[in-house]
Amino acid sequence: MREHEQTPQCCQPRRAFLADVGMGFAGLALGSLLGRDGHVRAAEGEAWIPPDGKPHFAPRAKAVIWLFFSGGYSHLETFDPKPALTKYDGKTFSETPYPDPLASPLHDRRSRSVVPMKRDVFPVIYPMQVGFQKYGQAGVEITDWWPHLARRADDIAFVRNMWTTDNDHAAENQMHTGRHKLDEIQPSLGAWVQYGLGSLNDNLPEYAVLGGPTRADNRVSIGSYYLGPKYSGVPLALDPKNPLPYGKRPADVSAREQANEFELINQLNQLSAVEYPQDETLRARIRTYELAFRMQTAVPEALDLATETADTQQRYGLDKPATKMAGERCLAARRLVERGVRFVQVYPSGYGVWDSHTKLKENHTKLCAEVDQPVAALLADLKQRGLWDDVVVVFCTEFGRTPGVQTTFTNGAKDGRDHHPHGFTVWFAGAGIKGGTVHGATDELGFHAIEPAHYVTDIHATVLHLLGLDGRRLEIPGRKRLDIDHGKPIAEILA
Amino acid sequence: MRHAGLIFAWAIGSAQFAAAAEPVDYGREIKPIFVRHCYACHGALKQQSGLRLDTATAIRRGGDSGAAVEPGKSGESLLIDAVTGANGVTRMPPKDEGGPLKSEEIAALKRWIDSGAAGPTDEQPQSDPRKHWAFQQVVRPAVPRVSNAAAVANPIDAFLVSSQETRQLVPAPEASRSALLRRVTLDLVGLPPTREELHAFLSDTRPDAYDRVVERLLESPQYGERWARHWMDVWRYSDWYGRRAVPDIWNSAPQIWRWRDWIVRSLNDDKGYDRMVQEMLAADEIAPGDEEAGVATGYIVRNWYALNPNQWMKDMVEHTGKAFLGLTFNCAHCHDHKYDPISNEDYFRFRAFFEPVQLRQDWVEGEPDPGPFQKYEYAVLRKLVKPGMVRIFDENLAAETRMYRQGDERAFVEGRPPVPPGAPAFLGGDKFAIAPIDLPVGAWYPGLKPFIQKSEIDARQADVQKARTILEAAQRALVGAVARMTEVEGQRLAALASAPAGGTQPAPHDPRWLDRQRDSQTAWRNSQAGVKLAEAQLASAQSRLDSSVARIGADNARFRNGPGDAVELSKVASRAERTARLRGALEQQVLAEQAATSERLRHGTVAAGTTQEPLPATVKAADEQLATAVQNVAKAQKDLEIDSTNYSPIGQVYPGKSTGRRTALARWIANRDNPLTARVAVNHIWLRHFGRALVETTGDFGVNGQRPTHPELLDWLAAELMDGGWKMKHVHRLIVTSKSYRAASSGAEGHPSAARDVDNRWYWRFTARRMEAEVVRDSLLHLAGQLDLTTGGMPIENDQELASRRRSLYFSIHPEGGGHPQMLELFDAPDPCDCYRRTESLVPQQALALANGPLALDQSRLLARQLWKESAGRESDESCRAAFVTAAFEQILSRGPSAAELAACQAFLSKQIALFQADAPAATPREGAAAGVPASTDPTTRAAENLVHALFSHNDFLSIR
Repeated sequence: MREHEQTPQCCQPRRAFLADVGMGFAGLALGSLLGRDGHVRAAEGEAWIPPDGKPHFAPRAKAVIWLFFSGGYSHLETFDPKPALTKYDGKTFSETPYPDPLASPLHDRRSRSVVPMKRDVFPVIYPMQVGFQKYGQAGVEITDWWPHLARRADDIAFVRNMWTTDNDHAAENQMHTGRHKLDEIQPSLGAWVQYGLGSLNDNLPEYAVLGGPTRADNRVSIGSYYLGPKYSGVPLALDPKNPLPYGKRPADVSAREQANEFELINQLNQLSAVEYPQDETLRARIRTYELAFRMQTAVPEALDLATETADTQQRYGLDKPATKMAGERCLAARRLVERGVRFVQVYPSGYGVWDSHTKLKENHTKLCAEVDQPVAALLADLKQRGLWDDVVVVFCTEFGRTPGVQTTFTNGAKDGRDHHPHGFTVWFAGAGIKGGTVHGATDELGFHAIEPAHYVTDIHATVLHLLGLDGRRLEIPGRKRLDIDHGKPIAEILA
Repeated sequence: MRHAGLIFAWAIGSAQFAAAAEPVDYGREIKPIFVRHCYACHGALKQQSGLRLDTATAIRRGGDSGAAVEPGKSGESLLIDAVTGANGVTRMPPKDEGGPLKSEEIAALKRWIDSGAAGPTDEQPQSDPRKHWAFQQVVRPAVPRVSNAAAVANPIDAFLVSSQETRQLVPAPEASRSALLRRVTLDLVGLPPTREELHAFLSDTRPDAYDRVVERLLESPQYGERWARHWMDVWRYSDWYGRRAVPDIWNSAPQIWRWRDWIVRSLNDDKGYDRMVQEMLAADEIAPGDEEAGVATGYIVRNWYALNPNQWMKDMVEHTGKAFLGLTFNCAHCHDHKYDPISNEDYFRFRAFFEPVQLRQDWVEGEPDPGPFQKYEYAVLRKLVKPGMVRIFDENLAAETRMYRQGDERAFVEGRPPVPPGAPAFLGGDKFAIAPIDLPVGAWYPGLKPFIQKSEIDARQADVQKARTILEAAQRALVGAVARMTEVEGQRLAALASAPAGGTQPAPHDPRWLDRQRDSQTAWRNSQAGVKLAEAQLASAQSRLDSSVARIGADNARFRNGPGDAVELSKVASRAERTARLRGALEQQVLAEQAATSERLRHGTVAAGTTQEPLPATVKAADEQLATAVQNVAKAQKDLEIDSTNYSPIGQVYPGKSTGRRTALARWIANRDNPLTARVAVNHIWLRHFGRALVETTGDFGVNGQRPTHPELLDWLAAELMDGGWKMKHVHRLIVTSKSYRAASSGAEGHPSAARDVDNRWYWRFTARRMEAEVVRDSLLHLAGQLDLTTGGMPIENDQELASRRRSLYFSIHPEGGGHPQMLELFDAPDPCDCYRRTESLVPQQALALANGPLALDQSRLLARQLWKESAGRESDESCRAAFVTAAFEQILSRGPSAAELAACQAFLSKQIALFQADAPAATPREGAAAGVPASTDPTTRAAENLVHALFSHNDFLSIR
């Protein structure tokens, strides 16, 4: 698992490679700024070369909408229902016909706590808190809390054999970077995508983030670290007053006043360009100023949901208080990919809200009702607008929840489930995905993902693969991106 | 994995197809496979099984097991068995040395063998990495003679011009004086020159005017700040991080800023680079009494990581290697280094230097006591302790370093003995001796410091005073209670006496009287108890004061040549401390007695000792506590009989010895004999003057790093650094006074050298570059006269980005979100985890930050008004405006406008004035933190503000030309 392949560049610091591009640092930035889909890059096995904004092989998808549900939704009460839990309600694992999941060697392998201590294990089985039915031609079991999404079952590929190693909420970062809190910080998936492919548009951020991460320590999930700040996710606010850092003309500057200033800057820089005809940086700067000027209007325009029809707004649930927040974020995500944003990371719910140590039923009933309709509407909308074959949607969380009831509360609460890295469910839909697929499984009690199972980097590898990228070749020489596992595309869900 | 399988099959298929069609290119296809997978064990460094795989001849020759290939017969070749693990041959490379070859690599090898396993006849074997240029001693090279002597101001020019002359390159002329002043000022102090400085320099006709500027800048306190920020990049300066929202510290430490200030101070004092390195690695050992130096170990503190000591050690090894030595030790974490002669064991030997290290927090005079350093404990939040200084010490002198496999810190190599500290043998790192160091008492016993002793006595005296006050209050309460009791009794008797004669007999136990009587008696009993407790507490406080006085007296006699006999005073201190313990036990006993009594009272069993079965649990518990308290008193009493010199120290005591490991390491690194240290250092300095390095891979001087463009120059500079006492200002001076540094960056077009060396690889001109993030912000403030030049101190939180006008290096920096001021982040503020050189990106958000950001807007308005005032009062509007445009250009770009620029600016001013006169735009004020400076209501001034604002977005403002 921990083996990583040696390449001749293993020890080469990345800065040297960036410098080797010939154009220098500024040149590289500009090069990728202008990068577009196009020719296939050099064949596999050749020496590492810095990305040129082109995929490594023919891509299946152009853009990604990454829906992240923070806190850890229960796989058992969403997309991996387990009637056995109800059958053995109140029994301990040892009283069921199923092998003791706590004794499995997988147990230690799949949880690496940030401290040398095992988290409590909860042996008393907690029944399912909701019913379920089979949906679609594939007969996918989905719980009753997802009436809208259930109707889309044939569009979705569920992966029920996920596992991760962080048993705490830094697993949220792990889901995005592939690395445990104990290890060196790594760039997020969105940053790698942007680094590998660059932008599809001229006037919007390349890696946009909606609705989160609200806590500073979770900015790791959109960070770019050694790739450089250019590749970080740009949080956009659904607030027409201030959608992007410095993206809004100050209140005490008039539009004409600023336009004239931009014109003067351009004029003066052009005069310089005459004096320094070979200064590439200067020319690139002139161009970024033009982009910047356009961005000021493009970003608010892209996020102006009021221009959508009442029907569309209603389908996303903008008209109801419960679904408004998730609906706006999903709708904005669609508008952004439509305008060529490559990677949109969406937090449809607030930070950590799915974390149901107690009152799971109450909590999940409410949260599912908030996101079910908007997410289903997003899928329908992508189809309707012909974006289905261009955009891949990923629906994920940081870990699942324990089959046992959590009993550690001094107030005696016994109505929730603890964090559970050993098995959980994510799903994919859209470009390159085989809808109506159920891939993998957990055991009867929903405890362990049955081998061969998928570590979180398999999700990354799948996304990169769909975009035409080989994650290993994106690596920066001298950096070990993911030494637990580089990840492999989940072949069974690919169309 | 159906899908992956398909790709796999396709790859093999295509390779097989290629076999028939294409000849094999040994140099392009085959040799790289051996380099990648085999050289570490079968090359110049090692010849496992007597086998070398670095030439086709050697491969055909084979090793101990015979020929590695049968030319023409891949099926019978040992090499193929080895890489596939077939026919009972152990698969190569072994598991611990990396993964197996890819199928297409194996296929290529087979094709090569089948086609005859030929290689070029003149193929050279891999050269011995120990002979690598950077691993050879620095020998000062002779300064070359050049034909164009006029282009040489000092030896730096001689080396550069010599390299140019062999390529028919001619140096560019000197930059204009104004460009030069701006360049050197930004370079040395990180701030542009003001107009006044520009005019002073332009009118200084003395031949050494430029040298005077250089000296002024090097002596400026801002020099230390500017270059500290550079070295903070290399040394990974970071304020604390972890979970700031909570706040829970996982990395670095809140007091780390003292190390930042030490860097600034050391640079301004021109402390030798060698000394700086030594202090950062081992100040606790080489300067144990020196608190100024102690904070230098912030270098090691910065890497501290609460959750995983292995991660701390990994960072120490990797970055000590890269920052000081240009060695990539990190590549030898899982296996032997693939290029440099650093074994996997060398990695762990290097780690062993740091293995005993732990953090401590020292009390700084005039600040609150930070208390002992809080070690990591699961689920316990770490308190954010800001006062005091944080530093390191060797805690566990016998700390062992155990090797683990494959970079997996859980996979210890069973039965393998711990590795001793050491550096790689090829650099002489196996030669030096490590001797434990006896630390002076002041270093391991901070409680001897007079201010701590004084604080201790003051605190104990305050305790006594407080106890006395409490006792006095209790005594007054008792007097009051007695009086009250007497009063009640008097009233009762009086009531009895005044009973109407012959009337009804007064009730002898009228309940009202009984209640009052009982209440007053209870109050009296409580007051008595209060006095008793307060007396016990005062006695205890007094004895603690006595104990502290006696212990400090003994400390002073033992360690500070204080008066009295150390042994006698120690005995006194020991007894005083035990007396205090007895008094404390007695105090506890009184408390326990009173608790037991009140519990019984509460349950209606008045007298202690009466039995009422079953006793309530709380009464039982109170009785048990009392019994324990009585036992403790007895024990403390018995302890008083001991004759001992033992007593407790005042505060923390650390080990009196240190392992000396880091001293040995530091002396080996910061040493003239170390071939890497000075080369790596001058390369970093050079990079930050010229925007490009002599060795582009600044953190890798190993075999796989890039070769220097100017090896002799690098060595000459390294020798110059070392021979000049490792003084960095000397190197700066040499560089900035060289003609090469002073060359123009522009005017390249049409220059004869431009076509031959378009990238300026040979330094025939200067290369313009963008200001770093900090310089952009500092310059905006500085040019508007708003920069606050206060130095040092705790980091400023980043939400104070607009409120504070301090220099940018004093803002908080850490790798979490919000770890930079927002504006700095957009201009490539350094990644505090890894920044051996800055990135220079160019993104639209930078333009937006300048156009819409409040900082640029406010500073523009302030500056425009100053300049407008100076330019006013001329004969015509036009000349006023021309004077203003010139002043703005001079202030912001350090040059006057060209005629075309002046015309454009004049036209702009007219246009804006007309705009503002026409529709006098409503200036909606900005809100909140960004409220800032309102726009002028006067159309002309507002136009002037716009012009200055635009100039701050000028490419020439952001560039160092």
